[in-house]
Amino acid sequence: MEPDEQDERATTGTPPAVHLDGITKRFPGVIANDDVDLEVERGTIHALVGENGAGKTTLMNVLYGLYEPTEGTVRIDGEPQTFDDPGDAMDVGIGMIHQHFMLVDTMTVAENVVLGDEPTKWGGIVTDRERANRETQALADRYGLEVEPTELIEEISVGEQQRVEILKTLYRGADILILDEPTAVLTPQEVQSLFGILRELIAEGKTIIFITHKLGEALEVADEISVLRKGKLVGTVDAETATREELARMMVGRDVLLEVDKPAASRGDLVLDVEAVTIEDDRGVVAADSVSFGVHQGEVFGIAGVDGNGQSELIEAITGLRKPTDGTITFDGRDITTDSRRSRVSAGMAYVAEDRQKRSLVMEYELQRNGLLGRQHLRPFSDGRLIDWGATGEYVDDIIEEYDVRPADPTAKAHSFSGGNQQKFIVGREFERDPSLVIASQPTRGVDIGSIEFIHNRLLELRSDGKAVLLVSSKLDEVTQLSDRLGVMHDGEIIAVVDPDEVTEEELGLLMAGERPDNLDVDGARVRRSSV
Amino acid sequence: MKAPSVTRRQGLLIGGILFGLITLGLLIDGGGQLIGDVAGVFSVSYLASAIRLTVPIAFAAMGGIFAEKTGVINIGLEGLLIIGAFGAVASLYALSATPIGANIWLAFVLAIVASTIVALLFAIVCIEFKADQIIAGLAVWLIALGFAPFASIIIWRRTSSPSVGTFSTISIPGLSALPSIGPLFEATPPVFLLALAVPFSWYLLNRTTFGMWIEASGEDPKSLDTAGVDVRKVRYAGVLLSGVYCGIGGAGLALNTGQFVGSGDTMIDGRGWIGLTAYLIGNYNPVGAFLASFLFAGLEALQLQLQQIAGYDVSSTLVGIIPYVAVLIVLTFVGRTRMPSAAGEHYDSDE
Repeated sequence: MEPDEQDERATTGTPPAVHLDGITKRFPGVIANDDVDLEVERGTIHALVGENGAGKTTLMNVLYGLYEPTEGTVRIDGEPQTFDDPGDAMDVGIGMIHQHFMLVDTMTVAENVVLGDEPTKWGGIVTDRERANRETQALADRYGLEVEPTELIEEISVGEQQRVEILKTLYRGADILILDEPTAVLTPQEVQSLFGILRELIAEGKTIIFITHKLGEALEVADEISVLRKGKLVGTVDAETATREELARMMVGRDVLLEVDKPAASRGDLVLDVEAVTIEDDRGVVAADSVSFGVHQGEVFGIAGVDGNGQSELIEAITGLRKPTDGTITFDGRDITTDSRRSRVSAGMAYVAEDRQKRSLVMEYELQRNGLLGRQHLRPFSDGRLIDWGATGEYVDDIIEEYDVRPADPTAKAHSFSGGNQQKFIVGREFERDPSLVIASQPTRGVDIGSIEFIHNRLLELRSDGKAVLLVSSKLDEVTQLSDRLGVMHDGEIIAVVDPDEVTEEELGLLMAGERPDNLDVDGARVRRSSV
Repeated sequence: MKAPSVTRRQGLLIGGILFGLITLGLLIDGGGQLIGDVAGVFSVSYLASAIRLTVPIAFAAMGGIFAEKTGVINIGLEGLLIIGAFGAVASLYALSATPIGANIWLAFVLAIVASTIVALLFAIVCIEFKADQIIAGLAVWLIALGFAPFASIIIWRRTSSPSVGTFSTISIPGLSALPSIGPLFEATPPVFLLALAVPFSWYLLNRTTFGMWIEASGEDPKSLDTAGVDVRKVRYAGVLLSGVYCGIGGAGLALNTGQFVGSGDTMIDGRGWIGLTAYLIGNYNPVGAFLASFLFAGLEALQLQLQQIAGYDVSSTLVGIIPYVAVLIVLTFVGRTRMPSAAGEHYDSDE
């Protein structure tokens, strides 16, 4: 099964910009990287793909000087280097753009760009803001990165913030840029503009290493793609000739079904009816404005949108974690707008929360007790006064087996599991409740590709069983593939409900950005509630 | 950093109006005589005494800003003021064999050193050992509250010191000769230091590179760390500055009075806590914090003087709560204060 596409590059005169030579990184009890050889040519984009926990980030942290390799050598332009800290890596021109932006929200674009390396005046004490603004602008112009140096970070979009991150590394003279999952938070349009910037950068002679688990993106933007699995380099392939299936097989080690095979929907009764619901966020700002939609038995209703457009608040209102200021929510024909969370759970509402560590698990509890959460007062787990640990144990063992949670240890604490396994456990706990409505918010966020496939199939099984499924995801391919109807949220409104089989990715992207394309039926927005 | 928001200014304005309202309230059944008496309270000398009372509060408040803006919440300001006050008087007492002139400055510096050392211990506990900042801050207060009177008893056999001498008043040539506002330019050195410290602190926070690091350290330490600046050092600097400022504030108060009083809540008497409130009202802006401190000090001076108006049967306890009631009211009106995002959180660079 091991593919054998190890790149046989003819030796050329110039050494590669980055050469990771036999890198092994061991942590106590774990080998994160096992004898990895990676060469990246100057002026190219090199994608590094692999599942969560495959060792991508560890490898890059070795390159970036955060970790010292246990064995092996890092060569930059042929010269062996040892880095004690990221500062050393920066000195030889390596810059890292982190997945979570390293920006100070309350400071301006230019201040963030120069932070730690400020132009000063008056004997080096006072920051020369004018020069900082000027230099930021000059750098931005040179590489085609549109930013306004004097704007505050908290006031600009995520796409702009990413450009500021790139500017930060360029300002420090980076020649080799490492981008860690840079597209996770971007709209499709922003992704395209990022790719434009990356191409601009390599045209200027920069070298880019692009960490991702989205195969499509790797194929689109990279020159070469290296695949890591379980800490080992499986191979390096040419992006021109590689295919998604081939890459997925290299990543997982077996064939993966990339397209979801979805049987036709058989829509039944209306289960959830949300009518003109208005919700305020924690700051008292309207987060969802008069939102209406319905979810039927046997269908998946998807909600797409860039994070932070009111999806979280909407879901919190439906699940009973937040009180709407206006509107009604009806569940199985009963008005539940003011019902408690507990009565909603008892009525058959299952909820896979977007932040699993905050909402779904007690990290310090073992799986056994986590499996009980939410139903500690219901039979067969409790007779109303005492918990029946025997029944709980059996139930948890079933989930672990059924949902392939690894390691299969009900006495291990939640925090000792990987994100994917935590999620599989939560999905199991919620789905096995025999719910009539399943609300799944970002169910595959931070989950590896094998588990994603599993969770998707389970969602579709629920649908076949005649359950109503409400799916919120910022992953476009996920919502379009799974949903029967798809509502797009922007700025607190569902601006259109579309048929995912007919809408194009471009149209969705525009909708997510708040623009309704001309060719899209405007009625799509008006008949939001195709229920009734 | 942004200037105080409009609501904040309105808050301070409301506080100002309160001055008037409280005065009015006292007038209701007082008759003309009281109006005259109370009106007599507001004079240039009243203003001068209000500014003198502002010194410990405002220094504590500005010190608190430096610490908290780097991400370390220092609620031990009260304790540091006590150490500053005690340190100044004890030093001056020990040095008093020689003439007072230069020694009072030496005592002043020693008090600052003492307060800064305590702040350093607090910083080590919070930064190196990742102690809970609130508990460590309470410990600073409680230790100081116990230590200063205890040491007083050892040195002077009672909780308070004898009179050891005060700063002499400095007059600014020319300005102090001005009609009516002249007395404002005749004050002790700590008052002039305060006048310098407010703009200095504002400038340090808002214009210097170090100020930028302070803000980054409190808002997003990881960003600062990735940018190659040592977050620990910035946080130490912030906490040590709070020690220096509280040293000045405490010593300034004690050396204006000329004595350390260790009974009850000591002579500091909650001024550190008021300072904490003052910088929250001032939204971490030294100028705003100064104005809020001045407001409280003004109310304090007012109640002191009101108590001295003879012949009215108003309980002094009732008059004494005026500043605190005012704090509550102003806090209600002042709107939301934006805390530094990472305040109170430990930062571990090897994560």
